[in-house]
Amino acid sequence: MSGETGIYILMAVVSLISTLAVYMAVVEKDLVKAVIYSALQSGLYTILYFLLLAPDIGLVYIPVAVGLIPGVLLILISKTERWEKE
Amino acid sequence: MKTVEVVVLIILILALALLITVGFEHIMPSTAVRPPAEFYLYATYNPYKLREYTVMSPEAVTAIVWDFRGLDTLFETSVFYLALIAGLALTRRLLSERAEKPGHGLSLIVKTVTRITAPMIIVVGASIALHGHLTPGGGFQGGSVIAVLPMVIIVVFSVSFLIMRGFTTSKMIIMRSLGLFGIGLTAIALFLVSLIQGTHAYVFQNMIKPDAQTSMPIYIAGALISGTLWFFNLFEMFAVAAGFSIAFIVLMLARTLQVEER
Repeated sequence: MSGETGIYILMAVVSLISTLAVYMAVVEKDLVKAVIYSALQSGLYTILYFLLLAPDIGLVYIPVAVGLIPGVLLILISKTERWEKE
Repeated sequence: MKTVEVVVLIILILALALLITVGFEHIMPSTAVRPPAEFYLYATYNPYKLREYTVMSPEAVTAIVWDFRGLDTLFETSVFYLALIAGLALTRRLLSERAEKPGHGLSLIVKTVTRITAPMIIVVGASIALHGHLTPGGGFQGGSVIAVLPMVIIVVFSVSFLIMRGFTTSKMIIMRSLGLFGIGLTAIALFLVSLIQGTHAYVFQNMIKPDAQTSMPIYIAGALISGTLWFFNLFEMFAVAAGFSIAFIVLMLARTLQVEER
């Protein structure tokens, strides 16, 4: 197995897990957990950006999508309600 | 029940992947480099053959963002700050920065670790921003890395701690405005210089052009700075870091006042 195939397989696995993280974030009723799933998805996307040779986007994606946006969302949740109603 | 849903989802994704793999030759775009990209890659650092079009920066993305397509980035920056101004205008009456007693925050271990990592976050952000014309990165990337620090401090200590240390919203607004002023000044620097000298130059010009022979400094003390790119990255870093910090401080303060009013 060449190195290139390995990278493609890694990309496939990372995309699969990130899609699952999106699904979990959508169905989760606890909004704090949903934010964490969303941050997980963003972290996996950063790996994809790096492997697809876009490190500039990766560098801006890590602080914004894993640090700042979950921070803003958590502040928002602490001001409103934690549990999503039916 | 959730397990079944997840398994169905995985099978769906894999089936879609198989479909794309089978239809590979009909879906995938050409892998050849397109003509504009070819020109940018050829011109981004080419002092020998394309002296009048090069940016003198080995990082093609930053060269495109701040020089070839500089006006686009300028307007993107203005959109970001207009959104911030809108946020400030909304919470204007909620702001009062009395020095309250800081909250307890998290445990001593977390606080000590934060004190140690705080300088590291700033160093990483500054190096991403100031090396933006040499390695992947740039002003926005570095600024948003630095902006993580105020958020960590707000979570680990408290927002009063940040304000008592002098990081008030008014100071952050001054820092952000200085950053924006720097970006504007860098954009028209060559134009002003050539106006004084009585020669001809463009707004947003970086290196020499066929009909405008004034140029920003390429090297400072032997270090490559690529003319305007280094200055744009520096000022954008200050502006973005201060802008995100304002957003966090304002959000937290608005919450404190709301609780008091009840």
